[in-house]
Amino acid sequence: MAYDASDDPRQLFGRPTPRIDGVAKVTGAARYASDEPVANPAYAYLVTSAVARGRVAGFDLDQARAAPGFIDVLTHENVGGQVKTNPDPAGKPDNTTTLESDKIWHDGQIIAVVLAESFEAARDAAHRVGVRYAAEAPSASFDSPGVQVEAHKPQTPDAKKGDAAGAFEGAPVKVEARYSTPTQHHNPIELFTTTCVWDGPKLTIYEPTQSMWGLKGGLAKQLSLDPKDVRTVSRFVGGAFGSKGSPTGRTAWIALAAKRLNRPVKLIASRDQGFTIATYRAETRQQVKLGATRDGKLVSFFHEGWEVTSRPSGYNVAGVETTARMYACPNIATAVNVVHADRNTPGFMRAPPETPYMFGLESAMDELAYALNMDPVELRRVNDTQTDPVDGRPFSSRSLMPCFDQAAARFGWSRRDPKPGAMRDGDWQVGWGCATACYPSNIGPAAARLSLTPSGKAAIQLAGHEIGTGAYTTVAVTVAHALGLKVEDVTVTMGDSDLPPVPVAGGSNNAASTTNVAYKACQMVRDRVAGAAVKAQDSPFHGADPAALRLQDGLLRGPGNLSEPLDKAVARTGGRLEVYAENIPAGLPPSAAQGLYEGKMVMSRGTGRKDVTAFAFGAHFVEMRVHVRTREARVGRVVSAFAAGTIVNPTTAHSQFMSGAIWGLSAALHEATEIDADAARYVNDNLADYLLPVNADVPPIEIIMVPEKDDRVNPLGVKGIGEIGITGMNAAVANAVFHATGKRIRDLPIRVEHLL
Amino acid sequence: MDRTQPEGPSRRHVIGAAAGIAAVPAVGSAAETGRAAQSDASGKVDMTLTVNGQARRAMLDVRTSLLDALREHLDLTGSKKGCDQGQCGACTVHVDGERVLSCLILAVSVQGRRITTIEGLAEAGGRLHPMQQAFIDQDGFQCGYCTPGQILSAIACVNEGHAGSDDEIREYMSGNLCRCAAYPKIVAAIKQARPQMAVSPGTPAKVGQV
Ligand code: FES
Ligand code: FES
Repeated sequence: MAYDASDDPRQLFGRPTPRIDGVAKVTGAARYASDEPVANPAYAYLVTSAVARGRVAGFDLDQARAAPGFIDVLTHENVGGQVKTNPDPAGKPDNTTTLESDKIWHDGQIIAVVLAESFEAARDAAHRVGVRYAAEAPSASFDSPGVQVEAHKPQTPDAKKGDAAGAFEGAPVKVEARYSTPTQHHNPIELFTTTCVWDGPKLTIYEPTQSMWGLKGGLAKQLSLDPKDVRTVSRFVGGAFGSKGSPTGRTAWIALAAKRLNRPVKLIASRDQGFTIATYRAETRQQVKLGATRDGKLVSFFHEGWEVTSRPSGYNVAGVETTARMYACPNIATAVNVVHADRNTPGFMRAPPETPYMFGLESAMDELAYALNMDPVELRRVNDTQTDPVDGRPFSSRSLMPCFDQAAARFGWSRRDPKPGAMRDGDWQVGWGCATACYPSNIGPAAARLSLTPSGKAAIQLAGHEIGTGAYTTVAVTVAHALGLKVEDVTVTMGDSDLPPVPVAGGSNNAASTTNVAYKACQMVRDRVAGAAVKAQDSPFHGADPAALRLQDGLLRGPGNLSEPLDKAVARTGGRLEVYAENIPAGLPPSAAQGLYEGKMVMSRGTGRKDVTAFAFGAHFVEMRVHVRTREARVGRVVSAFAAGTIVNPTTAHSQFMSGAIWGLSAALHEATEIDADAARYVNDNLADYLLPVNADVPPIEIIMVPEKDDRVNPLGVKGIGEIGITGMNAAVANAVFHATGKRIRDLPIRVEHLL
Repeated sequence: MDRTQPEGPSRRHVIGAAAGIAAVPAVGSAAETGRAAQSDASGKVDMTLTVNGQARRAMLDVRTSLLDALREHLDLTGSKKGCDQGQCGACTVHVDGERVLSCLILAVSVQGRRITTIEGLAEAGGRLHPMQQAFIDQDGFQCGYCTPGQILSAIACVNEGHAGSDDEIREYMSGNLCRCAAYPKIVAAIKQARPQMAVSPGTPAKVGQV
């Protein structure tokens, strides 16, 4: 290949690359946290509360102590004061407790930890623990007596512009409707496990986490340890979806147990316990009011949400921050309320704000299209904008309509008869629906250590997280291409807090954060190699401009097709060439670096920037089929298009988009955690009763990646892609169901009984 | 089959079948074989399991599931625990060539049976089984946690003769949940591997008959 003087790093990306951790994953060699071998562990089994509100009046432990293999039991009575409560997922101190006191905040709260010689013995002993409760009547959810409702406390003021109420009053065409979305649990297939091992003052925690440094910092605080003495390890994470983003109450007690026993302790929480010892997506209610001119231009936008949370925490997702930015509109008002009930604290779940709130907005947009007698795609077109309607800032890039147009063409949208119920295929009513997808483009500060040997082998280390996104491969691709090497020549080490910190693998920031820091490290390596070459008498580049030199095709290359072998060029830098790079994204304060090392959630958010508003956009098209007699609803096919800046690895990107879309179908048709209103208890807390899509549920899904070049979002133009796929899909399905049947379903999930 | 047709083994049928079968040897084997288990005072049993062609001996609690025996005692952690109650398929292994849920089987009950786990699929030189390679080629996984179970189930699905069409594959792979939702690519992987897999003679026609 010829010398390429281009300075546009985006040309490095876009080649489909199989996962570098693929062999480890298909051979069983990949070690997930609970796979890490530890010597002679004791096993922990959790005892969780059978009531949702009240106090533990006392324990009857004789039976448990008599169980063969029993070692110890932790309750608030013997260890209560020894651990500080972990903050809520938003980082606020008010959160539900576990063994800190006798207080019971929610059903399924951890109230004791039983330790025994084997898993079987621990389970047996835990089931023998007798608990006496002083129970009170709990409040389960919306409409339960005893809930407290309050306006949320936003970080930035709620979006507001002009006079939304007045404009709605005067609008010639209006839609006003209420929507609801259900409780959902992430249910990654990997259970919530924790293994703690002490070596003198040093604690190692093997736990699946999306935040190696966050878990380290959090546990150091809870246990009053020097963070230097806490190490977290999680080389592979068996699915997370937000559930492993913030520390949960279990970990500190397992660490404490290991200390008491002076022996490693291993916890594998059961599937049903996973519903209550970690977080979930809370149920929402929403009201949307849209006012428009007769040609479809929005004149008034109003979106209000209600979200359930625990008694002490104010956690909420406030998706109106996103929905208010979707379409041009001169008058905007939003509000969010939290409803405190006797429940565990909710938390991040794949596209936390957008999944519920885009359902409200995109359903209402479809209703508005019908009220206007207008094609829903055209309604999006007349309200499309390149300017953030709330802040007036430009979008860094916005390819919403190219997504709609390409997906519509592929889907065959022009053949749609807009009349509800007009399309039939034998005994099936057929409906086509569409909706907007979007997700803010976030990036965080990150660090990485990179080395290059004269033989052309690169090794990069960073405390990254492989939760299924292909994170190892994303980094390998960046380094290989930036250093002119083959992907096989790059070793990536991640999943250990002894490595340089990167942000939580959440908010779809991972690819942007890690590729940008990896690229920066590669630039530092190039600078060192080029700097040494121009000073060396024996180099063809002696006296040349170092900025013109590139690492390409395993060579140091320069203008005039001059080149030098890598071994010579690298050896000249003084043997082992190693750099430590830190990348603080533009716009973040210098304190962001410190936050990174403290494991804080510091991020440049797509909606919080001074220069631009940054989002990825997409469009979903869905065919729904509803049987005329059984009313069974089936997805016929899906076409979704996304424009998300630079696509680092199309192979794994396709998987992220596709599985996001399937999550969206699931949100529309399958998933809901059922709650017993009297007991405030999750009823279907297992994988058979919590309905997830199985292979036979999934229709043909076509993903279109619309090319997009974004010069402003970050230096590499990378937008996050892990969450956008789910957003809007629930509305696209509901819109298609309306088109098929004439029934507007505003409460998810859509099931047979709603279509009778 | 047509996905719109309610006939055929659903995920729950498949699970139900496997669960029922698992229980048979669990309660019946010692009595049937007349081979009384050796147990010590703490309730531990000296057992020998034949895993991936090797005899492995261990003193285990009689209540130990095959899954926990593999994971916690034999350092074969490729088989995964996703529910411990027969609902997810992550723990799928082969016993005498058939797919079973190892979380629902007591280890003590499968002594003398041929157990194959994900660690036993690749050839000694490291050459992958065609199904393993196909999962990589088709990107048939994301987090990889369900993958060992999917691959063992997929191999059995082909051997059972249940990989004739996309719809048949989807149906007979519906006992293995993938929360990452790699499903379409799992189907693609099975189609890739199917013609490369040698037909094993005498493989049973029905799922889950042990
Ligand atoms: S762990 Fe055995 S089926 Fe889930
Ligand atoms: S790959 Fe993650 S559960 Fe299947």
